[in-house]
Amino acid sequence: MDTPQTSAEDSAGRAEVVLGIGTDEWVARHNERLIVDSGPLARLKDTASKIPNLVRWLLVLLIAVAVPLGTSNPYIMRVGVNLGLFILLSYGLNIVVGYAGLLDLGYAAFYGFGAYAYALVSSDQLGHHWKTYISVPIIVVATALLGFLVSLPSRRLMGDYLAIVTLFFGQVFVQVVLSSDSITFPWATDSIDITGGSNGIPALDPFVLFGHKFLNAKDYYWLLLAIIVILTLTITRINRTRIGRAWRTIREDSLAAQAMGISINRLKFMAFIVGAALAGLAGTILSAVQGAVFVNGFDLPLLTLVYAAIILGGSGSLPGAVMGAIVMSLLPEFLRVPSYSEILFFVVLILVIGAMRRSIKSFAITLLGIFVTGIIVRGIFLSLSVKSLPRDEWATGVIGRFLSHWLFVPNNRLLWGNASFVLLIALIAYLTQASPTIKRILLPVAAFLGIFLWEVRLIQQPSTTRQLIIGTMLIVLMVTKPQGFLGKARVEVL
Amino acid sequence: MTKKPRLVASIASAALALAALGTTVAIAPAYAASCSGAISVMAPITGPVAFIGTEQLNFAQLAVADYNAKTGATYTIHQDDTQLDASQASTVAPSIVANKSIIGVVGPAGSQEVLAIGGLFSANSLALVSPSATRTSLTAGTYTSFFRPIPNDGLQGPGDATYMAKTLKAKEVFIIEEKTAYGSGLSKEVAATLKKLKVKVTKIPVNEKNADYASVVARVSKSTNFVFVTFQDAAKSEQVAQELKKERKKAVVFGSDGSDQPTFKTAGSYISAFAPDVTSLSVAASVIAAYKAKYGKYTTFGPPSYVAAQVILEAAGRACAAGKGTDRTAVLDEIRKTDIAKTILGSRLKFTANGDVLGGRFYIFRIAADGSHQLVG
Amino acid sequence: MDNGVQSVDYFGQQMVNGITLGGVYALIALGYTLVYGVLQILNFAHGDVYMIGAFIGFFVMVGLGGPSHAVVPVAVMIFIMFAVSMLGSGLLGIVIEKFAYRPLRNSPRIAPLISALGVSLLLQNGALLLFSGSIRSYDTSSFVPITAGIHLGGVTIDGMRILVLVLALILMFGLSRWVNGTQVGRAMRAIAFDRDAAIMMGINVDRVIMWTFFVGSALAGAAGVMVGLVFLRVYSYMGFLAGLKGFTAAVVGGIGSIPGAMLGGVLLGIAESMTSAYLSPNFSDAITFLLLIAVMLIKPRGLLGRRAIVKV
Repeated sequence: MDTPQTSAEDSAGRAEVVLGIGTDEWVARHNERLIVDSGPLARLKDTASKIPNLVRWLLVLLIAVAVPLGTSNPYIMRVGVNLGLFILLSYGLNIVVGYAGLLDLGYAAFYGFGAYAYALVSSDQLGHHWKTYISVPIIVVATALLGFLVSLPSRRLMGDYLAIVTLFFGQVFVQVVLSSDSITFPWATDSIDITGGSNGIPALDPFVLFGHKFLNAKDYYWLLLAIIVILTLTITRINRTRIGRAWRTIREDSLAAQAMGISINRLKFMAFIVGAALAGLAGTILSAVQGAVFVNGFDLPLLTLVYAAIILGGSGSLPGAVMGAIVMSLLPEFLRVPSYSEILFFVVLILVIGAMRRSIKSFAITLLGIFVTGIIVRGIFLSLSVKSLPRDEWATGVIGRFLSHWLFVPNNRLLWGNASFVLLIALIAYLTQASPTIKRILLPVAAFLGIFLWEVRLIQQPSTTRQLIIGTMLIVLMVTKPQGFLGKARVEVL
Repeated sequence: MTKKPRLVASIASAALALAALGTTVAIAPAYAASCSGAISVMAPITGPVAFIGTEQLNFAQLAVADYNAKTGATYTIHQDDTQLDASQASTVAPSIVANKSIIGVVGPAGSQEVLAIGGLFSANSLALVSPSATRTSLTAGTYTSFFRPIPNDGLQGPGDATYMAKTLKAKEVFIIEEKTAYGSGLSKEVAATLKKLKVKVTKIPVNEKNADYASVVARVSKSTNFVFVTFQDAAKSEQVAQELKKERKKAVVFGSDGSDQPTFKTAGSYISAFAPDVTSLSVAASVIAAYKAKYGKYTTFGPPSYVAAQVILEAAGRACAAGKGTDRTAVLDEIRKTDIAKTILGSRLKFTANGDVLGGRFYIFRIAADGSHQLVG
Repeated sequence: MDNGVQSVDYFGQQMVNGITLGGVYALIALGYTLVYGVLQILNFAHGDVYMIGAFIGFFVMVGLGGPSHAVVPVAVMIFIMFAVSMLGSGLLGIVIEKFAYRPLRNSPRIAPLISALGVSLLLQNGALLLFSGSIRSYDTSSFVPITAGIHLGGVTIDGMRILVLVLALILMFGLSRWVNGTQVGRAMRAIAFDRDAAIMMGINVDRVIMWTFFVGSALAGAAGVMVGLVFLRVYSYMGFLAGLKGFTAAVVGGIGSIPGAMLGGVLLGIAESMTSAYLSPNFSDAITFLLLIAVMLIKPRGLLGRRAIVKV
């Protein structure tokens, strides 16, 4: 633990703070101030934080090894591969953004470049079928080279302006790939199809390594796991070397870094190159496991997910990158199943009410309030003789069946669902302004509206609901923990 | 045919025989009630082209509700959102294959998605009945479990081109090729046929996300007879038609089936469609009325989705009646034997050996001044 | 090319198309620039506010009887559409600021970027839930006759585009008067210059930032209605690319600068129109972005951006 940054990574450190030379007391004692919670939850958190880092890594590794041994379900293995790719991308972006502090919004293009490069040399598209151990290293080097070219402007640009140039680069990549299905060269008469445009390139060769042909997602899963283990060890080591320290110095204050004699341009290039190479490698694996490549996957939505992963985890933290990748790639899959998302919804609802009503008594009163609101609304609906929907038609999930004795679901789900949606948003907006008394009165109403909306409208639209939940989660997590799960509040210099 | 399905089939038939002994009078078609399963809808339910997917989903839901109401069966819909992205389709595909309750798939919506996952589904004998993947090559025999209740681009492209060149005596055609799997494939077919018929062709590729068509329309020459558009959203075709009028050009818009929506209504324009006007068909009347009451407006992507779901449901019903249960292979076999006398698209539906509509054809309409569609070819 | 691609008329027509498109981009860019100038955050949800604005305008139009059976004169109807849409979008902007940005005012720069992404997902899918995925069309042909407009030689400027351009100019002029002439505007500039000093001068930062978001979002709402009027189509995902374009325009002009946003918007519109006129409509986005990279490399702060003072 030679620098404040590394000690910030193993989130323990509640023990006696020994002030080293040049360490500011306010900074060093920061961890103590972070803990404001008390009670059983905080104690649990505290115990968990005492587990050494190595043990945690091993625990994660154990689960990662156990899953493929326990199941051969192709879907689970495919989701596992996607998670592995996500971790690779997060590692790469973490070096560029988290360590070197360069805001690269064209990162997805490197991923796409690797994927398309592999597709072009492993399919009938251009008639090339290179061996895996030749094509993959060449592509990784080529992507690194591309990273170098893109990083050239970063010598002159800073912060948001670098972000903008790289964003444009990413957009250019997507456009060029999309349009390169009918390129007419001046010397040729017919146009040729390079990238397949919006149709992509199908029928790619799988990996063949050490005489073993990769047949299913499980093979790629093992490969990815091996790569990630090696990378984790390597990056942890690099992070403790001069380069790692220099990267962080650039991130914190590039002007000071320069004054200290650190060659910032060289280090920026290096961060870009390493990040791009990792993305290129991930791209080749994606192509091979998918057996086809399409441009849609390399646009801004993917980029934002990877960014969300490293920021949720805590920018600059390797375990954070893994954690963020797990959340951002597994949660959307988890939410595909409506009954899971229903359970998640009610758990979160209870937790939110619990967080807002700390004492058992007021918590119970709130629950009672929700119940009474439901009865009243039911009465209003009945007195207005609104047609109701038969129980069997809407109460599909476990919770739905439980609620079906209490909740009134009107026949016109579209109308009432949309009305409750708008009302709920307005109510939440109002509640943030309202006085505590009004809040106490209206909280059960808002919670009831949420339940009503869920059962009337959202449960019918799992795909849209899934996106809504991801959106809400991003905002809530950012607002409550802007540093990410494993990041620490840092004093911003600029 | 492997051994396992036969074992399942024999157990199922034994169970069914016992059930038949137990019941004295069969009131409704009782076989259907004992069968159940889920139909997956692989469509862009969210994302940039959600307008296609939500409609396909709604129509499929309506088909299931209708069938359940009619037979007392309990089939359900399983939503599988792909955002028309082949990568997402290939992620979700293994989960559909692994989900044993799924007996067939309505979708995937895009031809590129079929390319990505068709092999997996064929290997697992799980039927794909796509309401909108029209690329000609998909029914070349590679995908043994792929079907579509609508005719393909190989019929529409050359058909439209021949009509423009021969019947409407076009000398010069301007093609706006939208860079989507649908638009690129179709405009290629149209351009090839037009060139063969000695018509002057200008093909301009346009990005799908383009909003302003004024600068594209400005490229249309004064002597152009037709602007052939391959949009999936008819409002774009309307935009092009209006822009042509504003710039005082004589060219007329000729839209593919993607333009067969009420928002495209400039009088004198042409559209081709895979079905006679659904709104005016008596077979479709009750379905359309039910749809409008429950979901509101619809375009051209919905009704084939109803037929696709119907194909799977009826096949499952027959497989059940034959005592094979809703086993995937049995359902797939029954889908091959599909013969619906009149679908809501207004024609008989039988599949060719490779999964295309037998005797499918396109209809060409001219839009009249009052916005109605007149059948001209 | 015998269809007059080399003619002056063709060039003029494409210029007109580019300027109208640019007017819309400029209005979106103004919102980005205002927020960035004051808070130094990239409000990526801005494009989705624009989408909501377009929907509000659409539903106001339908509520007033639709274009063909309007219960009020067309001019009044358009005025109401703009007014309601701007008000609604502005309020939405305030709510977004309150929930997604205010708690993050002192966090790392990248945190608001992610919460903006969350807002964007919420708005897009909320709109999908409420309005369904189907594409709405403004159907302006029965509003203002298609053929109405100015014909100068071979160049046609249709009535709707003239209307939109005039409105865009009025809004931009009003905005610069507001920023330079009113007390809130001055307070805004003070915060942009030095937030801490502004607080010490007794400026209510929260209130001023609220106003900034209100005005920026209202402009996006106006842009949404304009796009509906000229380009007809309104759908839940339309904000994404438009937001990107508006952002680009703001950057090229020099982010934080109001005249820069207008200049950037118009330049972007013309660049797009010209590339699709003389090169390929398909590559127009790619070429536009390459041009922008070139601009950024030559003038890293944008065309009218101030030189940054790096505080140490």
